[in-house]
Order: sequence, then structure tokens, then C-alpha cells
Amino acid sequence: MSENGQPLILIADDDPDILELVSFRLERAGYEVLQARNGEEAVQVAIVRRPDLAILDVMMPRLDGYEATRRLREHDETRRMPVILLTARVQEDDIARGFEAGADDYVKKPFSPQELGSRVQAVLGRR
Amino acid sequence: MSVLQHAIVVFSLISFGYFVVLNAVYLVFTGIAWRGVAHHRHLHEFSGAEEAFASPLTPPVSILLPAFNEEAGIVESVRSLLAVRFPELEVIVVNDGSTDSTLRRLTEAFDLAPVRKAMRSTLSTAPIRGSYASRKHPELWVIDKENGGKADALNAGVNAARYPYFCAVDADAMLESDALLRVAKPILDDPDLVVATGGIIRIANGCHVEHGQVIDVALPRSRLATLQVVEYLRAFLVGRMGWSRMGSLLIISGAFGLFQRSLVAVAGGYSTTTVGEDVELVVRLHRYLCERGEEYRIEFVPDPVAWTEVPEDLGSLARQRRRWQRGLAEALWLHKRVALNPRYGVFGLFAVPSFFLLELVGPAIEVIGYPTVIAGAALGYLSVTFLLAFAVVAVLVGAVLSLAALALEEINFRRYQRGREAARLVAMALAENLGYRQLTTLWRVLGSIDAARRRRGWGEMRRRGLGYAPARGASRGR
Amino acid sequence: MIEELGWVSGALALLSFLLVCTLAGRRVTLARAERRRVDAEERLRPFALGLVEGDSISLPPLNAYESRALAVVLTRYARQVSGAALARIGAFFEDRGHVTHELSHLEDRRAWRRASAAHALGGMAAERAIPALLKALTDPDRDVAAAAARSLGRLGALEAVEPLAYALRDGRLPRAVSAQALLSIGPPAVPRLRDLLADTPSEVTVFAVDLIGLLGDASDAPQVMALLRDTSAEVRAHAARALGRLGAEEAANELRRALDDRIPFVRVNAAHALGAIGDAFATLALARQARVDGFDPAEAAARALARVSPEVLEAVASAPGAGPHLAQAADVAQVQA
Repeated sequence: MSENGQPLILIADDDPDILELVSFRLERAGYEVLQARNGEEAVQVAIVRRPDLAILDVMMPRLDGYEATRRLREHDETRRMPVILLTARVQEDDIARGFEAGADDYVKKPFSPQELGSRVQAVLGRR
Repeated sequence: MSVLQHAIVVFSLISFGYFVVLNAVYLVFTGIAWRGVAHHRHLHEFSGAEEAFASPLTPPVSILLPAFNEEAGIVESVRSLLAVRFPELEVIVVNDGSTDSTLRRLTEAFDLAPVRKAMRSTLSTAPIRGSYASRKHPELWVIDKENGGKADALNAGVNAARYPYFCAVDADAMLESDALLRVAKPILDDPDLVVATGGIIRIANGCHVEHGQVIDVALPRSRLATLQVVEYLRAFLVGRMGWSRMGSLLIISGAFGLFQRSLVAVAGGYSTTTVGEDVELVVRLHRYLCERGEEYRIEFVPDPVAWTEVPEDLGSLARQRRRWQRGLAEALWLHKRVALNPRYGVFGLFAVPSFFLLELVGPAIEVIGYPTVIAGAALGYLSVTFLLAFAVVAVLVGAVLSLAALALEEINFRRYQRGREAARLVAMALAENLGYRQLTTLWRVLGSIDAARRRRGWGEMRRRGLGYAPARGASRGR
Repeated sequence: MIEELGWVSGALALLSFLLVCTLAGRRVTLARAERRRVDAEERLRPFALGLVEGDSISLPPLNAYESRALAVVLTRYARQVSGAALARIGAFFEDRGHVTHELSHLEDRRAWRRASAAHALGGMAAERAIPALLKALTDPDRDVAAAAARSLGRLGALEAVEPLAYALRDGRLPRAVSAQALLSIGPPAVPRLRDLLADTPSEVTVFAVDLIGLLGDASDAPQVMALLRDTSAEVRAHAARALGRLGAEEAANELRRALDDRIPFVRVNAAHALGAIGDAFATLALARQARVDGFDPAEAAARALARVSPEVLEAVASAPGAGPHLAQAADVAQVQA
């Protein structure tokens, strides 16, 4: 939760375009957004700032989305944080991997910003 | 004219003639390479390195890392290989009977446990002592064997590899994270045709290295290493690109090459009888495929990078160049039958003879030419002014060729961002012909002589480690 | 002679000088252009984002340079988004005439211009470019055809499925590009791919079945299963792999039968598929293959057995004469448990 009571969302992707698009959409929808450029940064920021939701790209350098999710699940502060994975690979194996790592949902790339917004809302509403 | 005079004049003419031919060839190569690199750059915009990473159709690759007494950097090397961006890969480290703590460090760092690994028996190698799997990294294997040399270790790796392609790397080569994707691209595009590819080796001396990755590219402080930067750019961007475009790439660096596993296995694997096993393999692959009349391509890809350290002292550099030359000479001599043989296409009719002429005979002509020509001038058989004029032209021609290589680098890759570094490279391109080139030629002649006398063994390079350089650079594996 | 050499020296020196100056100047201009580009993108990005979001944008008049910068940003965004957002980007490009502009360049006599036009059209969500792109698939220049293939993939053009599958066989296009284009079209391509499973050259069937394995679902299994009895070994092998990817449990019987195929790589793929499906009835057959077969089929069988039943694996691996592959699989299973 951010200072002004808005839900705080972390978006992590090495592609700056995705960061811009997702931030814009979520800020429009009334959320506050934190950005991270890679998996390591994402985990660090998540532990410190405790966002209400994390959206992680799967294919990031240094630490990919799956591994980052696993790390989040290992830390007390972030164990129950909802995680949505953004992925271009949607074979059954990849989806299963995501859930095994501890993710709550996944969104395919190319993604619909609107749909992403709905998913975020749904996931936040569940908690 | 006395016999001596006659001889000196004739040989001087031969030298001058050779000079003209050599540089004409380099010039043509520069033109061919230019088109090749430019074409690649355009393709690159439409290329799909990211897509290849995401694609489930990208064939898996086994990375083979032969290691002998690499305790200083082995853990970092393996870590950086495990971090390579590629959809499916395995990393096989072959510990070639190291007498230091290489295996122990690997065991500790990666939580290895002994397993019985099934190995093919296609290639014969020195006895295998054991195999290890990693508890933390299911894609990592370590094969421990008795010492047999680099080629032997690679053959063991080929026997152990599971996947249809293998990438041979050196322990001290640092691959960029998407280097494997990029070097695999020709194979991904034409898997039925392309059997092997090689990338570019760039010089890491002076670069800022962290966790086995080059974070910031910079020129080395040492002048000798900077001269090598220019030399490598010319050798790769012009030389290899040119030969690749002509379908006759003879050399894929042992530090970074991708091969079709079954082809290498059936062609006999790496040769343990020569010190130039990387060259010899590629030449043999050409020969094997030509003999079977199969259509194939072996390509050089200019953008995937493996960073490596080069010698900064003359002694180590001399040993290295002598060894390279010995390897090249041995490899070419082993396959001399293909020279000028139409059965072997461009490779046999043009590439191999050219290599013989330019790489083996040429340096000898040069080395004998200098004293001959100077003697000729001193004795009055040749005009001194002519000699000086020719020398000036020679230096300038060399400079232009090196500048052309730098231009290729500048236009297509621009890894050296700082203006001062660009200026330094230009200066080195000009200075290269004032001594450095002559030295390398001398060493090459010595290397050819070594080959003729059938010397064996490697010689040591005094390994500074990248952390040695004052001020910048994080150390690797200390 | 010396005078000629003098001239040559002078020319070379001049050439060197010019080369260095050109490169230095080029660096400076490029740096400047890069800064301008970044500035322009910064300024125009809010418009681009707003457009994607569906705001009604009133763009200030843009010069050619800014117009290009905006197009570049939107093309990049177009790669990442789908649905209504993508349609809005497409409408923008259409309205501003970019699509028409690039379509005209598809006819350019210079190959690189055709290629860049084919590439650009894919980023503009320009469905009306599909017929022209289909034509560009047969362009004599390989790069143009490849760019067209990628764009058709991104546009989800179903009409491109058959030409792409044939292009895979013919090798006219880079294999990775054609395959990826088909993957980009996604599951909607499956019906057309199924049409290519029968009465087509076997090499085309091979690619079609591979892609069905990646894009299809359980309903496609029966048709793929039938291919396990095809006369072509390649078809059988790829059909087996596809069934593994589809997780088609009903194919287990046929796959077990395929473990006895004459051709080794069919046996490899059959074993792999049984492992993926998790067929408990295959354990004995897999154990046998892992013990007696050649290197690759035995290895595949051992790994499959590890997936299907680690307990059976442990039991057979400790029996005498188990062979190296079962030993490896058992050791690894224990180490990585």
C-alpha cells in the first residue's frame, strides 16, 4: 500500500516500452506504480516497498520471472504477494512452470492493456 | 652483375611483387567483407534474437568447456555460461586431469554429486575418472578425466553431449548473454545446410568485468594489447567475414564455435595430434562434406561476442603466435591433398592454396625480404630513395587496410564509445606497421619452423587476470 | 617509378585522412541525431500512450522528423499490445497514410526498401496489407520474403498458413522465421494446419504436425495419432513428438507400439512423448528400451521412465545388466530429488 492509500503495483521488465505502457494504464486506473528493470531489482524493491501486486516479465536478464517469483515466495515479507507473469511463451510447460514457481496468474504477450487492468483488479480483489 | 647481386635483386622483386599481391587480396577481402557485414546489419534489424529465445523450435545446445588448471576463474566461467540466454541448454565442463583445485572449486560452488553418466563411445579419449551432476543446476555436468589435452577433452565432451549441437568455449572466454542466440542464427535459419558457425573474439583487457560479464567496454592501457585490438578487428571483420562470404571459412575459434554434433563425431572429432585442433577440425569438416558431395555452409557471424584476455607482454604473445602458426601449418599440411583439387570446390581450389601462400609462404618471404632489400640498398643494387618511397607506401597501405577494418567496426558495431579510444585506435592502426606487424610475421615464421621440426607442447601464458590492471576492472574469480 | 610511388603515397595519405574525418564526423552527427530522436520521442510519448489508451488525441502539427519518431514509438508499442489497443494503433497508421506509403514501397526495385516496407507493415496492424505481403512471400530476395513472413505472422494472417508451411519445406525462407510466423498466428492456424496433414508432401506434413503439437489441443490428437502409422519415418517421429506436447493420453497405446519402430529417432520421440504424458503402462517397455537400445533411444527411454515412475526407475536401475542409461537416470533422480 502506498502512502496515499492507493494500491501499489510493481512492474518488472527489461523492455522500457512495456514499463511505459503498463505504468500508464495502471496509473490511469488509480494505482501507484513502481518500476524495475530486471529480476534482481524487482525482488529487492518488492522486499523494501512491499507492493500489493507484482507483474513480472518472464524473460528478464540476470534473474528471470520464474526465479524472481520463487525468491519472493521465500521471503516472509513477500510470501503472500500476488504475482502475475508476463510471458511470450505459452506452452503448457511454461504455464505450469509459472504456477509451480508460485505465480497467481499469467498474461500473454502481446497483451491487451485493458485486459491486464482487469486481471490486476481481479487479483487484488481476491485478497 | 655478380650472382649475389642477381640474387638480391631477384628476391627483392619477389618481395615487392608479393607485397602487391598480398595487399591487393586484402583490399578485395575488405570489399567483400564490407558487403557481408552491412548485409548482416540490415538483417539484424529484422532478425529475431528475442524470438529465437522465446521459440520452442530453437534446437537445444550443449556447451562444452574443457578445463585444465583453471581454478582461478572456473567458477565464474561456469556461472556466466549458466546465465547464457538460450531456451534449452546444458553445460558440460570437462576437467582434463587438472592438478590444482579446479574440480574441488566446482564441487563446492555448484553442489556436485557423483553420478554414472552414460557416454557414447564414438570418439576415443583418455580414460574417464568420473562424472558429476549438480544439485542446484540440473543442466550442469562435470566430466572428470585423465589429462589428454584440449582436443581430447573436447572429444569427451562430444561423447557426453546430449543435444544435436555443441558450442565449444574456452575457460577464459566470456560469452555475452545473447551470443549463443546470435551465433546460432544461421543454423536456425537453415538447419539442413549450415553445419557450423563462429562468432567474433574481442579483447577484454581494460574492460570492466563483473560476474564474468563485460559491463563496460574500454581499450586496454597497454599499447601491445591495443595493437592487438586493431589486429583482431581486421582479422575477424575483414578476414573471417571475407572467407565466410566466399564459402571457405577455415577457422572457427576454439574459444567460441557452434557445431553440429553428429557431423563432428562421424568426421572423427577433434584431432589430438595437432596443437591447432580448432583449425584442423574445420578444414576436415570442409573436406569430409566435399568428399561426400553434400551441400553445406560454415559461416562467420560478426555480432555474437566472446571476450577474452590477450597477452600484454612480448614473451607470452610470441609464444601464443608461434603456437597458432604451428597449429595452422600442421592443419594445412595434414590436408594438403585438397589444395588445387577441383573436387573440393572453392575451398580446395582457392582457400587452402591461398592460406598456404599467404599464411605459410608469405611470412617467410617477408622475413627474408627485409634484410635482402636493406642489403640491396646498402650495397647499391637498389636505389635508396626507391626503397624509402616503397616503405612509405607500404606503411600507408597497411594503415589504410587497418583503418578500413576500424571503419567496419565503427559503422556496424561501435563498441568503443569514447572519442579518445577511437582516436587511440586510429593511432594504433597507423603505428601497427612500424614494428608490430613485422614482429608478428617473425613469430609466424618461427611457428612454421616449429611445425616443420614437429615440436610439441603449449608453453605458458603468464596469466595476469583481469584484476591486475591498476584502477579499473573488477577481478575475475579471486 | 619513385614519382609514381610519391603520388600513390599522397593518395593513400589523403584517403586515410578522409576516412578518419568521415568517421569522426559521422560519430558526431549520429550522436546529435540520437539526442534529437530521444528528445522527440520523449515529447511524443504521452500522445502515443494516450492513443493506445483510447484517448482522443489532438496532435500538434508535426514535421517529417517528429512524424517518423512518433511512428517508431507506435510501431514499438504495436509489438507489445493486442486487442483494441492494437486496433487503435492500426487505425492511426492507416489514417495518417503510413500504410499506403509502405505498401507503395513494397514494389520498389531496391530489395532493402521492399524488405523494410514488409517489416514496417507488420508493426502497423495493417490487415489490408495482407494480400500484398502474401505476394512478397515469393519475392526473389530472401530478406524481403523473411520480413513479409514475420509481418504476416504478427498480423495473424490465416491465409499465410499454407504458403508458410510450404515455404518451410522449400527452404525459401529461413526456417526459424517461417516457423515463428506460424507460431505467432497461434491456435487459429490449427484448422488450416490440420488440412495439411493429409494429401500433402510428407515434408510439409512434418512441419504442420510440429506446429499442431505446439498450438493445438486434445481435440487434434486423433488426427495426429493416425500419422503414427504413416509410411514416412519423419512424419511418424514428428507425430510422436507432437502427441507428447499435446499431452494426449489416448495416444498412449499407439505410442507404446511406436517404441518398436524400426527407425531410432521415432523410438526416441515415442519414448519422450510417453514420458511427457506420464503413461504408467509404458514403464516396462521403457525400461527395456533403456537397457538394450542404441544410445539415443535408450537415453530417451531412461529419461522418460524417470518422469513416469521414479520408483520403477530405481528398481530396474539397481538390477544387474541395467545398463548406463538407467544408471544415469537413477543417479540423477537421486541427486536432484
